[in-house]
Amino acid sequence: MKHILLLLAFLPSAIFAQQFVTREGNVHFLSETPMEDIEATSSEASVILDLETGRVAVQVPILSFHFEKALMEEHFNENYMESGTYPKAKFTGTLRDFGGLPESGAVEVMVDGSFEVHGVSVDRPFNGTLERKGDEVMLICRFDVRTEDHEIPIPAVVRDNIAEVIAVDIKATLVAR
Amino acid sequence: MKCRYPQVLLLCCALHTAVAGVAQDDMMDFFDEVDEQARPVTAVFKSQRLINVHTCETPGKGEMNFVIAHRFGRISDGAYALWGLDNASMRMAFEYGLSDRVMLSVGRSTFEKTFEGGVKVRALEQMEGGRPFGLTFYSVTMANGLRWADPERENYFSSRLSFAHQAILTRKFDDKLSVLVVPSLIHRNLVDVPGRAHDVATLGGGFRYKISNRTTVNAEYHYLLPRPIQDEWHNSLSLGIDIETGGHVFQLHVTNSRGMFERSFLTETPDRWQDGELYFGFNLNRVFQVGDRR
Repeated sequence: MKHILLLLAFLPSAIFAQQFVTREGNVHFLSETPMEDIEATSSEASVILDLETGRVAVQVPILSFHFEKALMEEHFNENYMESGTYPKAKFTGTLRDFGGLPESGAVEVMVDGSFEVHGVSVDRPFNGTLERKGDEVMLICRFDVRTEDHEIPIPAVVRDNIAEVIAVDIKATLVAR
Repeated sequence: MKCRYPQVLLLCCALHTAVAGVAQDDMMDFFDEVDEQARPVTAVFKSQRLINVHTCETPGKGEMNFVIAHRFGRISDGAYALWGLDNASMRMAFEYGLSDRVMLSVGRSTFEKTFEGGVKVRALEQMEGGRPFGLTFYSVTMANGLRWADPERENYFSSRLSFAHQAILTRKFDDKLSVLVVPSLIHRNLVDVPGRAHDVATLGGGFRYKISNRTTVNAEYHYLLPRPIQDEWHNSLSLGIDIETGGHVFQLHVTNSRGMFERSFLTETPDRWQDGELYFGFNLNRVFQVGDRR
């Protein structure tokens, strides 16, 4: 009896260990124009996913994005993202009609939430897939970001070099928190 | 088995609910727990040079920065010389990023046909939420390329050489304001008049202030420490603006120093602001990625 009680006392953590997290999520983005392709990668995205509540949140330090050229990185931070003032891109949202994650196989999910870049929040849905692999949950998400939506001004002289719509890829392997 | 402790079970149930509730609200605490990875403060200045003096900036690994700089003649020469524009002194230089923290440079000025070879090392970087300043060292060897004044006598190559060593202390206070303090030591192998000091020290300071994302105003001043080298040399004061356009940085300035290498502008500035003996000039920086960044 005592053992059962003990077990029960510890159950909360066991039952509700439904939060899956990482601090090493990969984010890649691509700006594609006839003039040049500009891409950058960060492997410092923090992601938390609560499979019970269906809530998900992501934060990426802007300074963690690395480019092919050091000068691109400087311009990205100084002139476009103003990372000193807006150090992170953030997302918080909730999985739409989420009925839990099967033990195996990928499921398509929709997330509604608030996406903040450059200090400007936009409420919008995102598509992605979640897949349980053993103790881990794989998260994959691709979406487009309009620079205009986040009030990131692009001067006329570089209009041909920077796409108006940036393609973003997120890949993260989450583990139980 | 009949439970002898129903109240304990109840407590457990309550606990479950409570923990579940807390867990929901606490989801965002995940982001507070992060020990923010210590990052160096970047883009302290827009360019390798503030105006004349070197900043803490170095080209990224594999980057080649090509510099073309002009100082025109005295503005006070008036309309006849188009306020100095008729008469340009030029310097060009290549600055290469051996790593993200080490720069090698070669330069050539028309003034005294001077060659330069320099090394800049970002020894300490200012860190976000950490070290409040950066420390960079710059050393340069300058070689006068003029023909010997008297080819008949015995001339030594070492007589052509002078050296400058600088410790560049920098701090980016916020997005807009960055400040530097630069003590410099200049050694001249050969001095023009016997008995004059071979070693001269200066203490310099300067700042940049961003007036927009792509434009800054800059100023720098170098004080000749009171060990008089020659009465006719003055302290160097320069004011300027930087304009950044894509891969270029244009630096426009007004200065009383016409030379663009360390020995010249630090220790051999012949003109004074109060006499209106000023030079208009520009540095044009163009960056090329020539090597691999990784």
